[in-house]
This record gives sequence, structure tokens and C-alpha cells, in this order.
Amino acid sequence: MIQYIAIILFVFGLYGLLTNRNVIKMIISLNIMEIGLFIFIISVGFVYDGIAPIISSTADLGLLYVDPLPQALVLTAIVIGVGTTALALAFAKSIHNKYNTFNLDEVEEKL
Amino acid sequence: MKNLLGLLISVALGILIVLALDVSESFPDFGSVEVSERVAEEYFDEDNVNEVGSGNIVTAVVVGYRGFDTLGEVTVLFISALGVALIIGSSKNQKRLDLKFKPNFMLKTGSRIVFGIILITSLYIITHGHLTPGGGFPGGAMIASGMLLLYLADDEFRSNIKGFKILEGLAGSLFVVIGLLGLLLATYFLQNFLPTGAVGDLLSAGIVPIIYILIGLKVGSEISGVIDNFLTEEESA
Amino acid sequence: MSAILLVAVPLLAAFLSILGKKLAPYLLLVVGLFNIIILFFVPEGIVIIGGFEQPIGISLLLDTYSRLALLLINGLIVLISFMNLGKYKKYAGILLLAMAGLNGMLLTNDLFNLFVFLEISGIAAYLISSSNKRPVKTFHYLVLGVVGSSLFLFGVVILYSMYGTLNMVDMIQKINLVGNYSELILPFTLMFIGLGVEAKLLPFNSWVKGVLGESNTLSGPMIGGVYAGAFGFVLGRYITNLFMFEGNLLLVVTVLLSLGILVGEAMAYSSSKAREILLFSSVAQASIVALLFVNGVILWAVYYIMAAAISKTILFFVINKATKEVGSDEIDQLQGLFVNNKVVGVAYTLITLSVMGLPLLVGFTIKINFLTQLAAGDQIWLIIVILLATLVEGIYFVRMLIKLWYKGNNEINVSYCNPLKIIFVIIALAFLTFGVYQTPLNNLDNSIDTVMEVVDNG
Repeated sequence: MIQYIAIILFVFGLYGLLTNRNVIKMIISLNIMEIGLFIFIISVGFVYDGIAPIISSTADLGLLYVDPLPQALVLTAIVIGVGTTALALAFAKSIHNKYNTFNLDEVEEKL
Repeated sequence: MKNLLGLLISVALGILIVLALDVSESFPDFGSVEVSERVAEEYFDEDNVNEVGSGNIVTAVVVGYRGFDTLGEVTVLFISALGVALIIGSSKNQKRLDLKFKPNFMLKTGSRIVFGIILITSLYIITHGHLTPGGGFPGGAMIASGMLLLYLADDEFRSNIKGFKILEGLAGSLFVVIGLLGLLLATYFLQNFLPTGAVGDLLSAGIVPIIYILIGLKVGSEISGVIDNFLTEEESA
Repeated sequence: MSAILLVAVPLLAAFLSILGKKLAPYLLLVVGLFNIIILFFVPEGIVIIGGFEQPIGISLLLDTYSRLALLLINGLIVLISFMNLGKYKKYAGILLLAMAGLNGMLLTNDLFNLFVFLEISGIAAYLISSSNKRPVKTFHYLVLGVVGSSLFLFGVVILYSMYGTLNMVDMIQKINLVGNYSELILPFTLMFIGLGVEAKLLPFNSWVKGVLGESNTLSGPMIGGVYAGAFGFVLGRYITNLFMFEGNLLLVVTVLLSLGILVGEAMAYSSSKAREILLFSSVAQASIVALLFVNGVILWAVYYIMAAAISKTILFFVINKATKEVGSDEIDQLQGLFVNNKVVGVAYTLITLSVMGLPLLVGFTIKINFLTQLAAGDQIWLIIVILLATLVEGIYFVRMLIKLWYKGNNEINVSYCNPLKIIFVIIALAFLTFGVYQTPLNNLDNSIDTVMEVVDNG
């Protein structure tokens, strides 16, 4: 089932976040976790034999469509994810400028 | 040791979520969703579709019914761009970062041609947001990736950052002003005060295409600004 | 005159502020004052956005609960920006966006809208904390915040797939119809974790020591005072109306929150740095607030949040200013701070005594009232925990005050400018007045949160 694959991706991302000490790898794990979440959200709206919710005229309104609301939620959530990733990368560059490494263990040794 | 603990916690959380969703009666199985029990049923009602006027129902949700969420999302991108400029930007003169790879002449010229094609495609996707999948956000991201292409293909290139900042501020303010105009002219914030036309035409859906064009320009200029911040450094005088 | 102006006007000002960077601080003060003024004229009730009836569209809810919360948040932001006008001009745009985000969070009636404004306020908090110039600690805060928001979104989507709506009022009506609490445990836990990360609840608050322990006069009051207050209000609204913990989940949450109180007070007792003492005290106060809302004490929890937010703002500001001049925040290095700053010292002492809960100050009134309400609900263990916490609080605060009043070996030279002294004195006097003259506090009662009324009247 698609929903279980999405949760597996979520768990991968969480595992990567908990065990990595390199800042760039933590950001990538965060992104994988968010992608898993987005696939789960879209899968909540799927209807078997439903078609894409785009109509060319009001005569098409009687057909079976998939749920458009989760797609709109994911659109918003993806953009928010992009915003936070950009900010996290800016902090990573700032850490590199200050300590000359991306590894948090080496940064703790330098302090 | 720490890896094992992390693995145990993540797998336990995953199994917990899967079991809880399986056991729950109200959580529908994959694909057997009853759309008629959800709010989305109202989106396909003929009166509502004519009121918003957009043929792409997802666009109607994003800009029409949930336009306030879109305003919040645009604000998130804005504050992220502002934050990146605050953290790694600087007010002194800046020059391009010195990279190891030096591009050649064919790359520099070819990229400009491709940039033109990318720009036209993105403008098409932005303006047809209410008729086909797409809209302001993918279109704006395409403009920004065109800019990224120019930055990577030419190591002397810097776009007009001041112009982009002004475009970003104006586009955002116009979005809020359209909402406030809805408050003044029609009683509710972000209410549609332009005529909606027939569903399926290019000139239809009232304020929806205008808002999408503003969003596309804003997203494109914001992400281009972020790219510029990452690829420049201070001029060591 | 619609409540949406409280969010739309700061957003407009923020978008315009990058066109004219020099005007931004003045724009911030003007918009803040405008928000406070129109708060007295906005009518109560539900505000629909876009003209689409709820639950198809989004709506906002303004009642006395939100009005008190908005007054507190906007007032504190104006105060903080006034106190920091000189040094932190670059952060004016971010403070405007924080104001818009926090206002939207307190007003909204829609769960996904809450997620979006949670992200706006969260990113504003990361940027405000980046003014400490400690990128590793801020990165830690960012990662925890993003994970928390993702879990919150997960919970909201599970609720949507079960009940088909995102509107809070509509969802409570549908939950009451079905009535099966055991399948709601998973989404409510995820949403509680998401809100708990920002609200400094145990065990999600490992970021607090790094961010507030190295704070400055802008980030300390904002994150320790304003954000703590705002998230306390949001947590209160959702715990009393949506979550309504029962059974096993109630037991787990109560144990976790009580542990949070005790651990926070213990860490504050064993610390020797002034900022750490204040931040651990904030952590304990956040857990007390959540515990009160879980047990149905609404009005006195609201007063407790307001008193805690105002007092922590002032306390963090005074300590951070002194730390910047002296160079370290060890209490031994700050000895004798108030010898040359008697006015500031008296105000600080009064505010600290109010936090501890001494009689004649408003903190005592609030504590007695909510302990009485807890006793009426037979929560003996919680009363014991809170009294124990108050005892420990008393010890370490008095120890800190004694060291700050009596001169040590070093000569300290910290001065506060006159407008700041006037503000501190006014707030301390307000705490004193409300402690002695309690009638205005008793005029309101638990019905200030009207969500349940709206649900019943439909």
C-alpha cells in the first residue's frame, strides 16, 4: 500500500536525522522526512477510478473526481519546506564560515 | 550504540503509526475514500464552481477557498528570503564566489538561448494556472531555475538584485492590497470583486489569474535573490 | 473594522519595509500601536475570509480569550521594539512578520491555517534567535522546530482523513457525533508534540538552553516572554476544546507535565548563571500552564500566562543588558548590580516576588485562585507538585536577589536609560495594584473561551 511506503520514507528521514552529525546530511534527512509526509498526505485523497479535478466546462461536473483538498495542502507544505531548507542551508554556510567544518562533532571539539 | 538507539526509536515510531492507522475504523483504506462525506464535495457544486470561475479545482482551492493559506505561504517564502539575506548577506560590495570549475564560451552562449525557452514556458504555466495544472508556484520556481542556469553557466554573471527586491516587495504588497480591496469593495477579505466570465476561458475566474501572476513573479524573484546570496561573497578590498 | 486587519496590516507593512529599510523601525511601532488601538473597537464573533461559508472557507474567531491574548502579544512586541530601537534596527521587518504570525495563530479557527502561521512564527523565532550569533544552537532549534511542525501536520492530515473537514468547530461537532476516543489518541499525540516543541514542554525543549542561555536584549524577551505567552494561549485553546484528554493519554500527559515542572525547577536551583535560572523557570511555568488547562482551569491560567509573559520579558531584558556590559552572566560576576541602580532593582525585586507568589502581589492572587480550583477538582498530587515547585522557586530566586543587591568584589557599571526605568516602575506598580485590588480580575470567568458555545449553537 502506498501509504506504508510513505511512512517508511518518513522513518528513513527520522533515522537519518537522529544518527548523522554532518549538517548537510541532516538537512537532506529532514527533506526525505518531509517528502514521506507529503506522499502520505496525497495518498489520503485518492479514489479508485477517479480522474484529475480539472474541468473544461460545467457539463463535466457529474464525474468521479479525486479529492482536490490534499493536493492544495501539499502545494502549500512543499513551499514551506523549501523556505525552511533555504534557511537551514544559510545556517550551514554560516557554521562553515565560522568553524571551517560541516561536522557538528568537530565543532564541539573546537569550542 | 547511538545508531542502534536511533534505529530502534524510528522503527518503533513507524510501526506504532502503521498499527494505529490500521486499527482505526474512521481512517479510510487507500483508494476507498468517500469524497461526498468531505468538504471537497462542495467544491464540485455547480454554483460554487461558477462563483469562483476556475476550471482547475485545485487552483480554486488554493487561491479561492483557501486564499489566506496561500498568503501565509507567500509570507513564509518572504521571511526565508529575508532571513537568508540577513544571515549570509552583507551590505558591503560583493563579488561572485571563486569556484574551481571555469565554464567555457559554448556554455555561456547556449545557456542564454535555453533561458529564453525556460522563461516562455514558465510564463505560460503561470498565466494558465486556472485552466491546467501548474500555476504561480511551479512557474516562479522555473524562472528561478532559469536564473540558476545563468549563474552556473557564467562565473561573472550577477543579476539585478535591487530590481528583484523591489519586484518582490511590490508583488507581495499588491497581493495584500487586493485582499484589502475585497474587504472595501465587497465585504470580506480576499473576496472576488471582478467578473468571473465562463469557466474554461483564458480570461475568467476574477482575481485568481492576477493573484497567480503576482505569486509567480514574487516566487521567482525571491528564489533568485536566495541564489545570489549563496553564490557571492564579500569583496576583499 | 474587521479582525483580519490585525494580520493584514502587519503583513502589508512587512512587504513594504524592504522597499524603504530606514523606515522599518518606525513602521513597526506605528503598526503595533494601530493594532492595540483597533483591538478595542473590533466586534467579537466569527470573521469569514473570502466570502465562502465555513467549513468550505477559512474563518477567524475573536472572543474575550483571543482579545486578551492579542492585547498581551501586541503590547509586549511594541514594548520590546521600543526598548531595542537603537541596536537591532535590521530586525524590524522580522518583528513585523512575527507580529503577523502570532496574531494569525491566536485568531484562526482552521487547523491547516494554524500550521501555516505556526511556521511563520517559527521561522521568525529562528531568525530572532540568530541575532545571538550562535549558528549551531540556532540550527539545533531549527531542526527541532521543523520536525515538530511536520508531526503537527501529520496529525492534522490524519484527522482530516477521518472526519473530512479542517475547521475546528466543524471537527469538534463531528468528533462528538462519533465519540470513539481511542482512535483519536494518535493524531492528538502528534499535534501535542508539534505544539509542545515551541511551547518548551518536556521532553522537546532541548533547544531552550542553547537559545535562551546565550540570548541578548532582543531574543531573550521575545522568545522567553512573547513566544511563551502566545504558545501558552494556543495550547490552552486546543487542549480545552479539541484534545480533551481522557483515559490513558490523560495519565501520560499529566505525568510528563509534572515531570517537566519538577525537572525545570531542579535545573534552575542547580544553576549559577542568571540567564539559565530564568530560562529553566520559564520551562517550569510553561508546564504549569499546560497542566492547568488539562484540568479545566481556564481564567486563572490565562492570568498566569499574562503575568508570566510580562515578568519574564522585563527580567530577561534587565539581566541581558547587564550581561552585555559585564561580559558574563554568572551571578557572582553580577553581584551588586542594583547598588547603583536602585529604581531598576526595586522594580526587579517586586516582579520576582510576584513570580514566586508572595502576598500583596498579583502572583499570589493568581496562585491561590488556581490552587483552589485544582483542589475543587480533587487533584491533590498536582497541588503538592506545584507547592513543591513554588518552594524551590522561592529559594533560588531569593538567593539570586540577595547576591544582586549586596556589593561583591568587583565594581559594576551598568546603567539603564530613563524611559526604561519608567516602564519597569509602571509594570511593577501594576503587579502591586492588582495584587491588592482584585475586583477587576474577578469580573471575568471561565466562559471567556467561547468555542464550546459556538459548537453547541452551530
